[in-house]
Amino acid sequence: MRVIELHRSVTESNDQDALQLREELRAKGVLLVNLMSAPGSGKTTLLSRIITDLKEKLSIAVLEADIEASVDAERIEALGAQSIQVHTDGMCHMDAGMTRTGLEAMDLSRTDLAFLENIGNLICPAEYDTGAGLNVMISSVPEGDDKPLKYPLMYQKSQALVLSKMDALPYFDFDLEKFRERVLFLNPSIQIFPVSAKTGEGMEDLEAWLLEETAKWKGSGKRA
Amino acid sequence: MNYEILETKERITADNDREAANLRQAMQSRGVFFINLMASPGAGKTTLLARTIEALRGEFSIAVMEADVDSDVDAAAISDLGARVIQLHSGGLCHMDADMTARGISAMDLSGVDILFLENIGNLVCPAEFDVGAARRVMLLSVPEGDDKPLKYPLMFQVSDLLLVSKVDTLPVFAFDKEALERNVRSKNDNMSILYLSAKTGEGLDEWLDWLRREVRDFRAAAGKEN
Repeated sequence: MRVIELHRSVTESNDQDALQLREELRAKGVLLVNLMSAPGSGKTTLLSRIITDLKEKLSIAVLEADIEASVDAERIEALGAQSIQVHTDGMCHMDAGMTRTGLEAMDLSRTDLAFLENIGNLICPAEYDTGAGLNVMISSVPEGDDKPLKYPLMYQKSQALVLSKMDALPYFDFDLEKFRERVLFLNPSIQIFPVSAKTGEGMEDLEAWLLEETAKWKGSGKRA
Repeated sequence: MNYEILETKERITADNDREAANLRQAMQSRGVFFINLMASPGAGKTTLLARTIEALRGEFSIAVMEADVDSDVDAAAISDLGARVIQLHSGGLCHMDADMTARGISAMDLSGVDILFLENIGNLVCPAEFDVGAARRVMLLSVPEGDDKPLKYPLMFQVSDLLLVSKVDTLPVFAFDKEALERNVRSKNDNMSILYLSAKTGEGLDEWLDWLRREVRDFRAAAGKEN
């Protein structure tokens, strides 16, 4: 009797697609950042702020993934950035094939930095490599400091963590030190950026890091 | 055509629907009012359950099934209140289905229990697709998440009987428009009731408790007619 492990074969073939997409983007000099978080953590607001702040320094494009609706893509487009909306029609995550389809509908010839705003979900997107050069996740203060305990994979798969809505810290019982400890226990090399997209607090450090990573990525493409 | 096309997803949900219907029937005959509580991560499911258990102590016996990908912090919080609780680990899975729920229930002692809550995995997408056999589906949306969520996660808003808007004590801090929310909800679901509450300040908690009392009463009346 033959046993076929469906889940494994799905993720294995996705891993191959992701690897290929990543190398193609490296050759093109486009850093794709896969931005993941729970619903309402502030992905679109953070992106809006980054686009506005880095407008003169980088050409930024955004791939908005949603189950339906296109409110986010409209917000990004209003800022003058190239934006495309993909609808997953009920699916809870983006995979490498879906990401490729979305990117192929965009003109990336002058793009330095592209963001994939993944579906708002702390579980499923963590399981799928989208082909991005970096995985960045957002945790918002109102969600609570215990989230690393409950959704560990997302924290393990991310190279950077943006702790958003820092301006709301006085209104919530959120223990910053405990949160940091829990995150670093799961992922000792993760970069943590506490920010408020509303007040601008912490945005400078995050944006400096993004500029640095984009330059590094372009350098690695030239060497290859 | 000499081959069969198997719609695997439809097949999975059809099997699940059958198991859910059986479970709902079984809970009806045991007289346990079973609620599937769903929300995003960090919307305040556990805090609401804790306040509810405290407020209804002496009136109803409440049991809780905590479903999480990992950890048992929620079960510990509920257990500290003296309520019967079991922790289910989904092993990475993003939702509960009827079979997993039935297994959780069979591991619990429900004698004398009036209300059983399933605290589903924190996720606005996948849990909406799976009927777990509950009598009612209740969802939470917290103010910090924003008023546009019905547009982005429509199914959750379509399948739920009641929407609890939580953390209303933080309304002054966030740009959250109640009218916009209600418009967005109504575009997906005409019938859903909407209540606003803060488990922290206690605001709106009475309306939620009254909703529960009414639902338990109606559930018992319906069960009485059937038996």
